[in-house]
Amino acid sequence: MNPVLVVGGGPAGLSAAAELASLGAEALLVEKEGYLGGNPKRWHYSLLAPDLKPAEEVLGDLLGKVEGNPRVEVRLGTSVTAVDPAPPGFRVTLQGGKGPEGREVSAVILATGFDHFDSRRKFEYGYGRYPDVLDFKELEGMIHDDKVLRPSDGKPPKRIAWVLCVGSRDLQVGNPWCCRMGCVVSIKQAVEIRQKHPEMEAFVYYMDIRTYGLWEDLYWKSMQQYGVKFIRGRIGQITLAEGGKRLLATGEDTLLSRPTEVPFDMVVLASGMEPGQGTKRMAELFHLPVGPEGFITPKISDINPVDSGVPGLYLAGAATGPKAIPDSVTEGMGAALRAYQHARR
Amino acid sequence: MSVVAHLPHRSLSLTEEEAAQPPSMELTGRRRMSPADRGLSQTLYEEFHQDPRYHEYVLGCLNCGECTTGCPAARFYDFSPREMLQIAATGDATTLWDALQEKIWSCCQCYTCNMRCRFGNDIAGIISVMRELSVRHGLEATRKTLAPFGRSLTLLMTVGTQVSADMIQPDFFRDWGPFATGSDQVWGVSPEVMRKAIPLDVLQTTRSSWEVSVQTSLELFRIYEETGVLDMLRGLDPDLTEMLVDIIEERREEFREAREKYRDELITMKGPVASFEG
Ligand code: SF4
Ligand code: SF4
Ligand code: SF4
Repeated sequence: MNPVLVVGGGPAGLSAAAELASLGAEALLVEKEGYLGGNPKRWHYSLLAPDLKPAEEVLGDLLGKVEGNPRVEVRLGTSVTAVDPAPPGFRVTLQGGKGPEGREVSAVILATGFDHFDSRRKFEYGYGRYPDVLDFKELEGMIHDDKVLRPSDGKPPKRIAWVLCVGSRDLQVGNPWCCRMGCVVSIKQAVEIRQKHPEMEAFVYYMDIRTYGLWEDLYWKSMQQYGVKFIRGRIGQITLAEGGKRLLATGEDTLLSRPTEVPFDMVVLASGMEPGQGTKRMAELFHLPVGPEGFITPKISDINPVDSGVPGLYLAGAATGPKAIPDSVTEGMGAALRAYQHARR
Repeated sequence: MSVVAHLPHRSLSLTEEEAAQPPSMELTGRRRMSPADRGLSQTLYEEFHQDPRYHEYVLGCLNCGECTTGCPAARFYDFSPREMLQIAATGDATTLWDALQEKIWSCCQCYTCNMRCRFGNDIAGIISVMRELSVRHGLEATRKTLAPFGRSLTLLMTVGTQVSADMIQPDFFRDWGPFATGSDQVWGVSPEVMRKAIPLDVLQTTRSSWEVSVQTSLELFRIYEETGVLDMLRGLDPDLTEMLVDIIEERREEFREAREKYRDELITMKGPVASFEG
């Protein structure tokens, strides 16, 4: 049996490769970056919501099952550049360091994930212009290293604002969907900071809090135990205040129905999830239908979210829409099982 | 009395007639209105929702408040474009009625809210639909609210503008707040630089920009007549309307005389100039 090609080394791809190996199949794991672990690794995610378990632990668990596993061949810095049907599988061309290489695979799992929204596109927030306006993925790294400091002067911030739904639920940037993660991750960050630095004030600007399911607990605790403040309204613009020393966040407190202007030492943008570059490229290469949002559309998304509709081609993780790590890991397992069934037939 | 009148949230002294009004999706605890006002409010509500622009302008709302963020009126009045959108979307005729009394006139129609809205609503547009409604029905409150603006209205109706370039100064627009024309932070450039962008010959033109050609005035008036604006205004302020008609009659006369005088030249002119005679 030829190996099953897994495209993408984030949580979904790692989970799929690990699962294939445990089923006794061979996996060929291709990752375009030079490391495994996807976005959580790239941005040094700190604790993962909602259990506040370190990301390294969660990823480490997956990596342990893949790295050094004789049934998993890992190819870093490699992309899939061509594909031809070779029933029951495919013939693919890989482009790595040493030039094109053809491989026969028995099935393919696309786990190409998402990209964080580029917050510079919301020019009114001044991201990229004002050093103390951060993207929340950058704050993850700071929290991880316990160095929550203002990039402008290296001093600890006294008051921090989180702006939710940046590049999500926003027709002006063409992204009307919800990122699913921004709320819970921001609240988690606020809790982490308030735990370690109770002297720092934390304000979350929100339209709706979408800590769906059991994550609601974190939202409640953030208020009850950690004194995180919530203001209903989306910040409309960030400017400089106090001679450029602080940031001025302007918006409406929509519960009090008044415009607000509050100075902050640091503003954190909860940037949304967009279909990853890899997702777009693979959708083209495999002629897969994408929805208006640009994510790949599974054939029957409600009862079989991992099935692409093309025999032998399966989907996992954020390639099909914004997704949390546990969901991506589960889909990786599901896709692995389907690919295994196909390859064995 | 009907059962509805006995519901706990209502005033028990509703009249039979009041209680019999077709219910929209009413909010609880509303105050009493005269049967005439209640009837009119229902008419306004229905007319508003039947306006073909309604569904084009009001799409839905996340209540994010970004429209309010940039709204100059929200800084100075108890008013916000988000609230206006909510009022436009509400099923409660009384709420719409209340807004039509005064609130709708807080807006300066700058359209900033539209540019901000992430949902694609035309908030400034729906506010102007509300204004039309209140003018068309000659609401008492609208009459009172607009009474002090006779001069602006006269200029707008006869000349087409009431602001000239040299009026863009903080002193003329105190209600824009201290930063509106004085700050680099708001505009990104200083007012001096902005003024350089205005062609010299239109600066310092408080007088000349109000001296439009007689054809322009007549064309404007023709538009107001044809589109029903004049009739709308007549319902609201018959005196002002008569005054405007007088002014424009004078202009028409002026035009007729000029035509008489320069008849020979006019005959050689091409185009629809003569048709603005009215
Ligand atoms: S998850 Fe929260 S932050 Fe993200 S788009 Fe949805 S509501 Fe906004
Ligand atoms: S158009 Fe009216 S409501 Fe909209 S921003 Fe301008 S003043 Fe405010
Ligand atoms: S900007 Fe649009 S969506 Fe947001 S509150 Fe205003 S009308 Fe509603």
